Amino acid sequence: MFNLVVEMNTQKIRKDFPVLEKGIIYMDSACVSLKPQQVVKAMNCYYNEFPACAGRSMHKLGEKVTEEVSKARKIIAKFFNAKPNEIVFTKNTTESINLVANSLGLKKGDKVITTDKEHNSNLLPWQNLAKRGIIHEIIKSNEDNTFNMDKFKEKIKGAKLVSMVHTSNLDGVTIPAEEIIKIAHEHGALVLLDAAQSVPHKEINVKKLDVDFLACSGHKMLGPSGTGILYGKYHLLEKLEPFLIGGDTVIDTTYTTAEFEKPPEKFEAGLQNYAGIIGLAEAARYLMKIGRKNISKHETELNKKITNELLKIDGIKIIGPEDPELRSGIISFNYKDADPHEIALLLDSSADIMVRSGAHCVHSWFNAHNLKGSARVSLYIYNTEEECDKLIEEINKIVEL
Amino acid sequence: MICIIALIVFSILGIFSATHRQLAKEAFDCVFRRITFRKCESGLDIRLKSRITGRLMKRSPILASKIHRHFELISWAFIILFIVSFIYVAIGGYNYYLYGNCNGPNEDGFCIFDPLGEKSKFSETQSCSAEPPNPESLTLFNVDLSLFPSYDKNAENDVVFIGCYGCPYTRKAYPAIKKLLDRKDVNFVFAHFPAKESTYFISNILNCINEADKDKFIEFNELIFTSDTISLKNEDEIFEVVEKIGLDKKEIKHCSYLERTHEITKLQMSELQKTGIYGTPTVFINGEAVVGPKPYRVYKRLLK
Repeated sequence: MFNLVVEMNTQKIRKDFPVLEKGIIYMDSACVSLKPQQVVKAMNCYYNEFPACAGRSMHKLGEKVTEEVSKARKIIAKFFNAKPNEIVFTKNTTESINLVANSLGLKKGDKVITTDKEHNSNLLPWQNLAKRGIIHEIIKSNEDNTFNMDKFKEKIKGAKLVSMVHTSNLDGVTIPAEEIIKIAHEHGALVLLDAAQSVPHKEINVKKLDVDFLACSGHKMLGPSGTGILYGKYHLLEKLEPFLIGGDTVIDTTYTTAEFEKPPEKFEAGLQNYAGIIGLAEAARYLMKIGRKNISKHETELNKKITNELLKIDGIKIIGPEDPELRSGIISFNYKDADPHEIALLLDSSADIMVRSGAHCVHSWFNAHNLKGSARVSLYIYNTEEECDKLIEEINKIVEL
Repeated sequence: MICIIALIVFSILGIFSATHRQLAKEAFDCVFRRITFRKCESGLDIRLKSRITGRLMKRSPILASKIHRHFELISWAFIILFIVSFIYVAIGGYNYYLYGNCNGPNEDGFCIFDPLGEKSKFSETQSCSAEPPNPESLTLFNVDLSLFPSYDKNAENDVVFIGCYGCPYTRKAYPAIKKLLDRKDVNFVFAHFPAKESTYFISNILNCINEADKDKFIEFNELIFTSDTISLKNEDEIFEVVEKIGLDKKEIKHCSYLERTHEITKLQMSELQKTGIYGTPTVFINGEAVVGPKPYRVYKRLLK
């Protein structure tokens, strides 16, 4: 059976996710996506066939891992239209952002700009640096939670870095990254995009965007947890001081000096998560095969369906713009004074529908808006129209309680 | 309020499972915060409410709706029920300790601490009586105890043990009774009430033993009550016991057939009827009656 988007055979895709056979409706992919069996198989291959070190050992297994990790880097580079040596493997988005924050050499008085909807991962590193003297400025969003370009233009002057969430995990709104980057560059500022929520759902071409740094996680894009990516323009990566140092980041050392590797190796300290990296590359390959434009279209169609029905319910308030086209696959909502955790728990208990509730690690925004949190539906490639119908049916039942 | 119930339930389950131990901790935290007029922050109350309502929604949305709306009220009802149950259990425990039964002295209703009712069972002595057993009517008033074998130590406590050699509950009570008998501060009277008619003849033998030697009935009881091999229907086997305690079995046998002995036994039965006895064993300790095979502590409590 074909779904809304003819290019994407959802039913066929679902067969790659054995956990769905349990009859669950998984709508929490903004937190962690499910993993297709291809990814699990690729990781198992490492453990079963060549569980050795990359880049160090000269034996057959060592060479095989080195080759597989190198292939993985090339696949990820292709995924972003980057060069392989611009891809740094990290633990997750948080580590990628921290790497930039701590390696960029920001000094007292340097200005960093973020939005008011940043995940704690892209808020706390700057708060921390602000204690040491950098200036952290926040761009307040428009009333409908979309990006306020005018305020950005006002504040960009003198900024050293713009670090912004590309697609918000709070409401699904995507900022106009290309325009922001262009303006930032005109003012001599670098741009770091927290693309944890955009990479799994949209085609990201770093060359076209001209972004300087981009951070994302594997666990949200069908990949294994404990994997992340930092993309950086090579000449910028070269200038960064390594954040974590140790094994495999150096060519040679004496008791008092060290000669560091070139990027990306100089940022990948210690034995890496090889199985995870191989799994992550498989996830990227899987997404490229489906086509990220198809994914975006599929999610938007499902979002339209849910949004249209939700807005018919008196008392439901969707966070962000009402237009589902502006919220990708995320529907963050509240019902009157109901506790969002209660809504999520009821959906889980009554119909095995899994959604997230709470502040979604964007406590700052909720505190500023005097809200306790929200229930968040986040869609992905394996969600179907029938699941959306079931979600609406259950929300209607909950509202009637 | 659900947190209070959760605390109790999960504390009990937590004895057996680590998962429930964690929930019990959360429930405790929640209860502690509530009694100190703060909000429960663990979200346990919401989780429990949602889980319960959510599961009900699958089966009956109407019922789920009613429970969801009145959850606090229902929680209160459960708390009250729990407190009432707890009080009853405490009273039951207290009664069990004092009387060997949760329901009070000589009651035979269900008791959780003695689910099979083993400590309250007795062998009926009024099988043809239409009257229900009446513990209130048990008395030693106007009963001539001098007719029965006794062991008088000139002590301050008087124990009258009315039992039946052939009855399982009397036999079960015997070890505790023996402990009483061994005490120096107890005067002891034994009355054989043959609830099983086939053992009626042993009353005659017992009276003859008592006539021959006033102390020998204790040895006789010990052998009869503690042996599982003696057939109580077989006269010869009983006389073998008589011989074992050092008495002349021919003499005792002869005595037991005498009309005079039968008259004494009849008189004893008639006296025992005055006690209002409805089952064996019945033990009077300083005038207070206890029916059924109770633990020693129950008897001991009635001593001065």
